[in-house]
Amino acid sequence: MIGLIQNEMMKIFGKKASWIYMVAIVLAILIGGIIYVKFTEDSNPNWRSEMKAEVTQLEAQVKSSKDKGEKEFLQREIEQKQYYLKENIDPNSKTSWHFMNEVVMGVSSLVTLFVVIVGSANVSAEFSDGTIKQLLIRPHRRWSVLLSKYIAMVLYALMMVAVLVVSGYLISIILCGNSDFNMKMYEMTLDGQKIAEAGPQFFMKILYLLPSLFVIMTIAFMLSTLFKSQALAVGIGIFVLFFSSTVGGLIVMLADKYTWAKFLIFPHLDLKIFAFQDKIMGNITLPMSLGILGVYYLIFIVVTFVFFQKRDISI
Amino acid sequence: MSSFALEVKSLTKKIGKKTIVDNVSFQVKKGEIFGLLGPNGAGKTTIIRMIVSLINRSGGEVIINGRDLDDEFTLAMDNLGAIVENPEFYKYLSGYKNLRHYERMALSDIPGSRIKEVTELVGLEEAIHDKVKTYSLGMRQRLGVAQAILHKPSLLILDEPTNGLDPQGIREFREYLRKLANEGTSVLVSSHLLSEMQQMCDRFAIIERGKLVVISSMNEEKETDIHDVEFEVNDSVRAADLVRRYFPDAGLAAKGLQRLSISAARDTIPEINRMLVENEILVYEIINVKASLEERFLEITGKEREAYQA
Repeated sequence: MIGLIQNEMMKIFGKKASWIYMVAIVLAILIGGIIYVKFTEDSNPNWRSEMKAEVTQLEAQVKSSKDKGEKEFLQREIEQKQYYLKENIDPNSKTSWHFMNEVVMGVSSLVTLFVVIVGSANVSAEFSDGTIKQLLIRPHRRWSVLLSKYIAMVLYALMMVAVLVVSGYLISIILCGNSDFNMKMYEMTLDGQKIAEAGPQFFMKILYLLPSLFVIMTIAFMLSTLFKSQALAVGIGIFVLFFSSTVGGLIVMLADKYTWAKFLIFPHLDLKIFAFQDKIMGNITLPMSLGILGVYYLIFIVVTFVFFQKRDISI
Repeated sequence: MSSFALEVKSLTKKIGKKTIVDNVSFQVKKGEIFGLLGPNGAGKTTIIRMIVSLINRSGGEVIINGRDLDDEFTLAMDNLGAIVENPEFYKYLSGYKNLRHYERMALSDIPGSRIKEVTELVGLEEAIHDKVKTYSLGMRQRLGVAQAILHKPSLLILDEPTNGLDPQGIREFREYLRKLANEGTSVLVSSHLLSEMQQMCDRFAIIERGKLVVISSMNEEKETDIHDVEFEVNDSVRAADLVRRYFPDAGLAAKGLQRLSISAARDTIPEINRMLVENEILVYEIINVKASLEERFLEITGKEREAYQA
C-alpha cells in the first residue's frame, strides 16, 4: 500500500500544475495581504479618544436630527462605538492574527478550488490518457489502487492547507509584525456580533474548514471515477463547488419553510459558519451538521468504490 | 504446478442480451507463442481484457500459471505482464519514473538493477530519463515491452502489439518475442494481421463473432498432404502436357511461358521433377508456395459465415 501511495504522490507532483497551485496560494496571500495592509483603514494608537469624540459628535447629531429613521441609525452607531470602547477593542486594528482571520481565510476558498481541480482530474486523467489499463493489470485489487489514490488526494489537500497556514503566518508577520495570539477581536455574524480571540478563532475556522474540504474533495474524486473525460470531470467538479456556495444561501431561506431542505448537503458544506454562531437554519448545531455531512460522505465513498470495482475498462 | 501458462475455460461475456464472447476455451503451453486471430470486432480484445481482468467476466474461469483469478487474484496477476493496445504512459514523467511506478506495484521485490537491465534490453538507455512525451511511437512500444517484462512474468499478453509500428519495428518486436519465448516465457498475442501471426506464433486460435472457431498449429499446416509448388521451366506448355499425362491427379495451371503451378502430394513432387528432367525439360527452380494463413483463415471463416447464414 505504501508503494501505491508513493506512486500516486509521484504522479500528483509529477504534474507542474500541482506545484503551481501551491505557489498560487502563496501569491494570493501576498497580494491580498498587501491590499489589506495598504488600502484598508489604519489603526490609530489614539483610537479611544478619537472614538469618544466621535460618539459625542454623534450624540449631538441625534439631538438635532428630526427624522426618526436617521435617529435610529445614529443611535445604533453610537451603541456600536460605545461597545468597542467598553470592551477595549479597536475595530481597525491590523495585527498578524487579524490578517490570518481576514486574508488567509479568504484565500482558503482557493485551496478548495485547487483541491477540486486536482481531485477531479485524479482518476479521470488515467482514463483519458489510457494509463488506467496499465494500472489495473497489476497484482493489486482495484479497491486498493483506488484507495491509494484517495489517500494521496487527502495528503495533497492537507499539504495545501499546510501551505495556506504556514505561508499565511509568515506573510502576516512580515506585513503586520508579530502580535498577541489571544488578542480580542470582533466578528460580525448573522445574529449580531461576537467577541473572539483572534488566534484560536483562526484555528477553529481552519478546523471547521477541513470536513467540508474533504467532503467536497470526495465529491470531486467521485466525479473523477464516474467520468472518463478529465475535462468533463474537472468542469463538473468546479460547477458543483460554485453551485453549492450559491445555492447554500438559497437553501437556508428554503429551510424556513420546509424541514427537508435542512438535510440537503449544501448548507452544511461551509462549516466555518459555526465559528461565528452556534446554530444554523434555526436549530441545526455543529454535531448535527457533521452527522449529515458524514452520511453524505459515506454515500459518496460507497458509490465511488462500488462503481470503480464493477466498471469494465474498455477504452 | 500446472503445465499451462494460461488456461481459459468457457469464457463468456454478455452485455445486455448480446453475447460478445461465447464459451471460449483454450490453453497456452509454457514457452509457447499463442495467437488470437480474427477480424476486428470478433471479440479478441474482450477476451484479452477479461484475462487481464480489465473487464468483468459473465462466466468462465481464467487460470494463470495454475492460479485461478477468482481465488488467488493477486498471485495470479503477479505472473502476468501485458500491453493492452498501445502502451500508454504518464507522459509528464520520465521513462525511468514510469518503470519505477510499475516496479513498486509488483508483489515481489525487484532488484534495483532490473530497471537498468530491461532498459538496455529494449535499447532505451539514452532516453530513459527523458519525459515520455518526447518519445516516438516506437520508443513507447519498447518502453511498453520493458514495463511488461520488468517483473519477469511467466505469461506475456499482448493486444494488437504491432499497431502503429513500422516494418523495422515489427521485425524487432517479433525477434524479441521469440527470444522471450525461448527463455521460457509464454506469450498470448492478438492481431487481425494474419501474415503477422503467421510469422510470430507457434499455435493460434481463430475467433469469429465471439466464438472460437478453430485452434491450429503452424506445424500442422506444413504437414498437409497437398502442397502447392511452382516449377520454373524452359517450356511450360510441353511440361504441362507431360504432367497431365503421367500425373493425372495433380492440380495444374500454367502461369506464362515458363511457370507452371502444381498442387500435388509432397512425395510426388520429386517424381514430377524427375519425369520432367527425363523428358528433357530444363527445370530451373521449384518454389514451395505455402498455403498462407490468410487463405486458410478466409477458408475457415468463410465456411463459418456460410453456416451462419444458412
